[in-house]
Amino acid sequence: MLLSLIGKQMKMLLRNKQPLIILLVMPLVLITILSTALAGVMDNGGESAIQARLVILDESNWEQEEESIKSFIEEQGVSGSALDALLTQVKMNDPIHILENSILASKEVGKYISVEKKKATDLNNLRKDKNIDGILMIPSNFRLNYIKSAYFGVNQTPDIDVFLSQENEIRASIIQSVIQEWQNGFTKSLVFSKAGISPNEIMQNTENVKKIEQELQERERKIPASIYYTVGMLVMFALYIPTFLSGFALQEVQWKVYDRLILAGVSSTLYTVSIFITGTIVAVMQQAIILIFGKLVLGIDWIGAEGMLVIVLGYSFFIGGLSSLLTTLQLRTKSEGAANIFSGFVVSIFAFLGGSFFNIGDVSSLLANIGNFTPNGATMTAILSIQKGQQLEVIWSYISALFVWFILCVLLSIVLFPKRGGTS
Amino acid sequence: MLQAINLQKKFKTKEVVCNINMQLEKGESVGLLGPNGAGKSTTISMLSSLVMPTSGEVFWNKVSINKNPEALRKTLGIVPQEIALYPELTAKENLAFFGRIYGLKGRLLIERTEEILLKIGLSDRKNDIVKTFSGGMKRRLNIGAALLHKPSILIMDEPTVGIDPQSRAYILDTVKQLVEEGMTLLYTSHYMEEVELLCDKIYIMDQGEIIAYGTKEELKLLVSDNQTIELKAHLLSSAFEEALQKQFPMASVRKEEDILLISMPKKEEPLATIFAIAADNAVTITSAIVKIPSLEDVFLHLTGRALRD
Repeated sequence: MLLSLIGKQMKMLLRNKQPLIILLVMPLVLITILSTALAGVMDNGGESAIQARLVILDESNWEQEEESIKSFIEEQGVSGSALDALLTQVKMNDPIHILENSILASKEVGKYISVEKKKATDLNNLRKDKNIDGILMIPSNFRLNYIKSAYFGVNQTPDIDVFLSQENEIRASIIQSVIQEWQNGFTKSLVFSKAGISPNEIMQNTENVKKIEQELQERERKIPASIYYTVGMLVMFALYIPTFLSGFALQEVQWKVYDRLILAGVSSTLYTVSIFITGTIVAVMQQAIILIFGKLVLGIDWIGAEGMLVIVLGYSFFIGGLSSLLTTLQLRTKSEGAANIFSGFVVSIFAFLGGSFFNIGDVSSLLANIGNFTPNGATMTAILSIQKGQQLEVIWSYISALFVWFILCVLLSIVLFPKRGGTS
Repeated sequence: MLQAINLQKKFKTKEVVCNINMQLEKGESVGLLGPNGAGKSTTISMLSSLVMPTSGEVFWNKVSINKNPEALRKTLGIVPQEIALYPELTAKENLAFFGRIYGLKGRLLIERTEEILLKIGLSDRKNDIVKTFSGGMKRRLNIGAALLHKPSILIMDEPTVGIDPQSRAYILDTVKQLVEEGMTLLYTSHYMEEVELLCDKIYIMDQGEIIAYGTKEELKLLVSDNQTIELKAHLLSSAFEEALQKQFPMASVRKEEDILLISMPKKEEPLATIFAIAADNAVTITSAIVKIPSLEDVFLHLTGRALRD
């Protein structure tokens, strides 16, 4: 019986032009218009493609250092064929060679970091260039110090200088994480060598890509207009679903179809549950279509699938609960007043406070805080947090607000549903 | 057996139904006759357990449906005055939906749906969306939806309102067939001829009260002392009407379009006198019919108003 009721409600919704236009066509059109029109304003300084620019200034080279390295090794009592073998090994495990030709040249890291080589004399000019995210400066005695430290246990750390840009933290942090991993590898070469592990292997085996991706997740992405308005319209237009479902319910009462349902043994609880489930399903479908539209048409890269799923489901449950409540109010008052007030007034206020039209926080932090307690505002903030790359934990306070709204709607539906004869 | 005892319904302070007593035996077809606003629909809502009476009781097979409405609901088919259908669904989808909520499924549901579509003459339009149907077709489907679960009692509230004569005749034939098959029927209408055609027993209702009840014959006996003469004539004049009223002071003389209706006690033999008065007033009578009393006359006699006023 429940499935029949849900199926019937879905057919009524899908075969009516007005709901389809308002629930699907309008948000998609508005998303396209607003994303395009306001892209210039909102996307300033935004960066969606994450590729950091690294410049390497290498003052060292083998030719210059080879003699001093040889002398140092001979001083340590190594000579003849043993010296040649060690030099071959040292060359093979050269950290700079590994960094340039293995780590940074790899396909995975190359996605995130582009590398250029410049002269050390350009350092001052390069540091002023805002398009450069990081500069790695390798001093002239780097290899000698490395060999002393890694092969002979001399307590002399091979220094490098890393200059990171303050302009884009995410890109700078990507460079930092790769350099740190590399540095970690070569400073512990001696320990690894004694354990029979080649320093080369260690430096290349760093989890650079994982680190970068972790870095991206931990750091905030800028939200472009396309994401902002897709989410803004998504949360706003879902609020129209209860209006249509409660409108159909009122028609059922006015046409006396509801009397037939009562006579057939459909209880008020079952009826309300069917409205709740239909509202939830329609909300999930609507949000899925809008999110897919954003991905395919606007090229949005939605991240944080788990968090998004939790939020979309949570909001859909709320929409289902609100559908039940609005139905209850309409049946109780036997008029479209409740739905009209809701769609004409409450949705606009909620959309304004929730930030569907613009970031209300730019106007007033008080209003923004109030907006975060509206169901659509809480949902929007939660989705945007996930899209900024924040951790899943940050959404729980917003999900809690949604849950409170959901419980409130369900309880009021139960308490206010008209008793026998209240709809005839 | 459906029985109503002292049913009363008040909406706030307004009493719309007062002290109704009714009884429907199994297989009986009962008419509830009354003008618009008489309280017929409210009475039906109380009888079908949809509205709780302010006072009084309704019993179905001696079980109080005030306390136990489920006792009646599953065995009841109701045809409301409104088109209680989903306009966005097809005829078949509507019937299948109502069948399913009554617990029909699978092959039984398919068979029953096809059977009903055949009965109401909509088999060839079963896959069409209801909102594309004519008023008569919607009314037929409205009846079909009430028959799917094979109810043992059918309550029909003005099922022929606002439709063309052809559809009306079809519906009346269908209902007559149901009655002949033994369906217990409560039929409300303000069309006398429908109630006369379909019902064995009739309750006449006005201003929330039952003002008379009985079989057609019993009700007509209430006006058996009266006769109505229907005159058609050329050059009908107010002088002629006044002369008739003067001659028959006990009569009520009224004009409906080009027909003059004279109601008077049966004991008088008026035709010769009427023709004489017509001749005196230069009126040429083209036809004069002495009418057998109808339910319309009964209602007029009881309330002083025509049923459709």
